[in-house]
Amino acid sequence: MGAGFCFSKENMHGRLACRLVKEFNSGEKGQLNHFNEELLNEVAKECSENFLVLQSLIRKMQEEGLDFQTTRNADHYGALINHLSLIRNKRCLLAYVYNRAEMIQNLAWTVGLRLFELPEEIQEKLSHPEKEYFKKHSSALESYMSKVDLDLNVDMVPPKDPYIKVRVLDDVGEGIVVSDKAANFARHSMHFLKRTDAELYISRGLMEELTG
Amino acid sequence: MAGQSDPHISLFSPQEIEFMAEDELVEIVPNIRMDPLNFISGDFGPFFPQIPAKVPLWLAVALKKRGKCTIRPPQWMSIENLTHVLEGEREDQGAFQAVPFHYIEISRLLFDHARDDIPDIYMVRSLIEDIRDVRLHKVETNLEKFSATSAVKISHLSAMEVNVVRPFVVRSLQAFYKHDNPVVMADLDSSSDIQPQVRQPQVPRNAQRQPLKRR
Amino acid sequence: MENSRETGSTNDGDASPRNANYYDIDDILVEGELVPVVFYKSANGVKVDPSAEKDSVEEGAKVELPFWLAQELYLRQAVSLSIPTCFNQNTRREIQADAACVDLKSRCPYFYEFGCKIAPLVGDRTIGKMLLSTFQMRYKEILTKAHTTAYAPASKSLAVLTKEETSLHEAARSSMAAFKKWRIGGPRFQRASVLGRKRKSTE
Repeated sequence: MGAGFCFSKENMHGRLACRLVKEFNSGEKGQLNHFNEELLNEVAKECSENFLVLQSLIRKMQEEGLDFQTTRNADHYGALINHLSLIRNKRCLLAYVYNRAEMIQNLAWTVGLRLFELPEEIQEKLSHPEKEYFKKHSSALESYMSKVDLDLNVDMVPPKDPYIKVRVLDDVGEGIVVSDKAANFARHSMHFLKRTDAELYISRGLMEELTG
Repeated sequence: MAGQSDPHISLFSPQEIEFMAEDELVEIVPNIRMDPLNFISGDFGPFFPQIPAKVPLWLAVALKKRGKCTIRPPQWMSIENLTHVLEGEREDQGAFQAVPFHYIEISRLLFDHARDDIPDIYMVRSLIEDIRDVRLHKVETNLEKFSATSAVKISHLSAMEVNVVRPFVVRSLQAFYKHDNPVVMADLDSSSDIQPQVRQPQVPRNAQRQPLKRR
Repeated sequence: MENSRETGSTNDGDASPRNANYYDIDDILVEGELVPVVFYKSANGVKVDPSAEKDSVEEGAKVELPFWLAQELYLRQAVSLSIPTCFNQNTRREIQADAACVDLKSRCPYFYEFGCKIAPLVGDRTIGKMLLSTFQMRYKEILTKAHTTAYAPASKSLAVLTKEETSLHEAARSSMAAFKKWRIGGPRFQRASVLGRKRKSTE
């Protein structure tokens, strides 16, 4: 890689978009990162720039009386490169949003259907539209579950006993009523709960299952 | 129910494999009288004290936990049979002995819930653990021999054994297939110095997408 | 007739079912790997040549372009390609000498995938063969590592693995770990994995 071969990478077409995608991929596997609105906007801005250059090059060719369908001059290749960059940037942006949306859907299935049930550090990572997406996905899921009259988000592990023993790990909050009783879920207290009631608290990390 | 499975690496969780094993039938000897049970999977019972009956393992365990029956360990869990199987496994490094498809899960469930119903439980348990370890080691040795997508056929693997190696095997075979597939590179001869104007850069992708059915 | 429209849509540009990898993060990153090219044509209004004074690239300019751009320009005869450094003779010699120890990750984290994409374009049949033999030689090592480093995923020897090799290693390791955990018994219900390993320490 000779030194003269390199180019200033920050300026290069598609560089920022690549950074955005890499950022999604960084960190621990399966973990959500902060929504990077700033970088996303910069990539979107680059898309607009690509589009403007593309337009101006085509206009220039038209003004010169050239048939831009057949002419293969520097303006043609410039327009082509800008077009390809635009498409590439779009793919990166969509992939970023799409893959995050998948993880957000997954939160509804494994952690909870309400936004306030998600740990704060997760909520902070979502953009406003992502929060809306989460809410709407959850409510669609809820109305579907009420139509089929089944809780689809429980028994993620094949069920065994209907009741399990749990220990409270964190302040669950007062006045929590699980289906058959209202208990005082103080931290470190132990309870015998219906499996389906306990499951979501465990996956949220608020309780742990005790065995033996 | 598939909540634990990871779709990306095609793996069932061991709990899910265990769940499937719970449908296997075992013989129980009830100590109560009970009407027949009509399930989607079939009808079981009626039950009479001291009269053996066949039920799914999950039901056997549930009754056993409540002290309503004893479970008869399956035939293959005898010391004679297990010793024979273990010897066979050790002697023949190339092949696997025929064992029940769910032997790991069934034995684990019985050891957990019906230890008093299994004669010589310590011996039985250690034999099964030995068999399992020898077999898992053999599986690994088998995997080391992979070098391309020639035929891969390993008979008599059990559900849990297959599941443990599945994610790795599937991915490796895909990689071997991808790199060993002449189709991928086939058109290079004809086109290396010809203008590639009309040729679409689609060849490798299409090739990869062919299902892995060449066995 | 070919490419009759300026904006002729390309394979990578549309999310049609043809391109099943459209949203695939890894596939996107593979196509971001750099390829050395020489421009046959000049192009205006582009920022690809750092040595150029204005926003353009001259005929004969030598630059490195990401694969997604290099490929399309090559297919339109606007550039010529050369083999990326990670597939050069030096790397091949090192692989020949001791495949398992070569740090492929630092050369190209997507060594195999990139190789598959670039080989048909540069018309070098030896790349395909090299990928297969490299994988064959390293495969056994991955397998052994997966079973010996069962509880030490951050081990140093893993640092030389490419992305795909790491996934393979992880596939073997995690299924074995799940099995061992099941064998020991214990809680069936776990904290959701999306939440990460540990919650922020509660005061």
